[in-house]
Amino acid sequence: MEDLTTRMAKVRNRRSTKGQMRVVEAIMATLIVIAAVTFLYFFAATPSSQANDTSELEKIGHNVLHDIDEQQLLARYVYNSEWTNLTAALVVSLPTNVYFNLSIYDIDHHSIGHPLIQYGDQQIFSSSAAVASVTYIVPGYQTSYSPRILVLKLVNG
Amino acid sequence: MRLARERKGQFIIIAAMLLSIMIVSVSTVIYGTVTYYRQERWEEYVTIVDSVRTASSNLLQVGLANYAQTSNSTVLRDYFNLWVRDVRSAYPGFGVDVGYALANGVRSAYGVSLNYSNGLALNWNETTSYAASNATVSIDVASVGLTGYNFSSHVFLKMSIRDAVWYSKSSKRYVNIYVSVDKDGPEPVVNLQAGNFPYVKLGGVSQSFTVKRYYSSVYSYFIYEIRISSISSLPSSAEVTLLDNRGIKTISYTTNIQQDSS
Repeated sequence: MEDLTTRMAKVRNRRSTKGQMRVVEAIMATLIVIAAVTFLYFFAATPSSQANDTSELEKIGHNVLHDIDEQQLLARYVYNSEWTNLTAALVVSLPTNVYFNLSIYDIDHHSIGHPLIQYGDQQIFSSSAAVASVTYIVPGYQTSYSPRILVLKLVNG
Repeated sequence: MRLARERKGQFIIIAAMLLSIMIVSVSTVIYGTVTYYRQERWEEYVTIVDSVRTASSNLLQVGLANYAQTSNSTVLRDYFNLWVRDVRSAYPGFGVDVGYALANGVRSAYGVSLNYSNGLALNWNETTSYAASNATVSIDVASVGLTGYNFSSHVFLKMSIRDAVWYSKSSKRYVNIYVSVDKDGPEPVVNLQAGNFPYVKLGGVSQSFTVKRYYSSVYSYFIYEIRISSISSLPSSAEVTLLDNRGIKTISYTTNIQQDSS
């Protein structure tokens, strides 16, 4: 009777040791996987978020100016001082959540006199960390060579 | 029995380590794939090259318009010399350098033979008249190591008098001149107004006229119908001057005026 009791106690003890080892193994495996994921998290330099990425805005801005130029409208607006038409063309061509501010200079980077050509809350240009800037040149209009440098600043509203 | 259990335990840990290595490896490959183009800072100089390219093409247009209106045969060379200097100052710090070679000699384009001199070609006072300019432009951007980017650019305007007809049996005698206009492409120009035709002459005398534009099933082409009313006799010649929206001018002329008495 005593033998049987002792033997049962030994079997129970062995089973509990086996169960504890499984738990320890599972914890160790989990720790290894967590360590790998943590390693990735800390060492992977994630790409900048869309909100801080200006390259898309630059591409949009350049394409819009290029499209207006292709339609023979950009030079006409700039040299005939059709600022309202130019603003309207930019507003309808750019996405509604993109605010812009256009400045026009001569080849010596002196600003030519023109009213504000802009859309959206201009405060956001000073507060946003991601302001895209596109430089576009118009060499002349009709028969005259007189380059104008257009600097279009864009920001997500 | 104990040995077997230990081996089993080692296997789980080794499996976890292998899984971790796989996670790290796959993540590295996926990250590299997703961010490859973000790491390439190509947009900036592609934008500059595209802007200079478009502006150089526009310069050909401005030079041709000037030549067609002033007959200054060196205007394109003068403009390009200024352009080469001004592009450098327009993009300071990028090392943008523009070179050019103006077309010279006979070249064929859009079904006509063009005789260029200093990048410019005019052929006026024919039934089919044209004005064209052509240059090869090279762009270097030193800041990104881009050299030898070449492209050929051309501007073209062609006007053809398809027919000139004097309608003599009508109660109001009139002359219709049927004109087609093409630009580089070639593609028909469809947005011209009466103001784009500063002069229409019959027998060398300037006339008042009206212009209708439509797609003609007779010519299978987009046609401008220029009508000059109250013409009592068959004119000896017809001349149409065109100034398109780019400021490029050309003059077509014909002595072949038909009479329609039906």
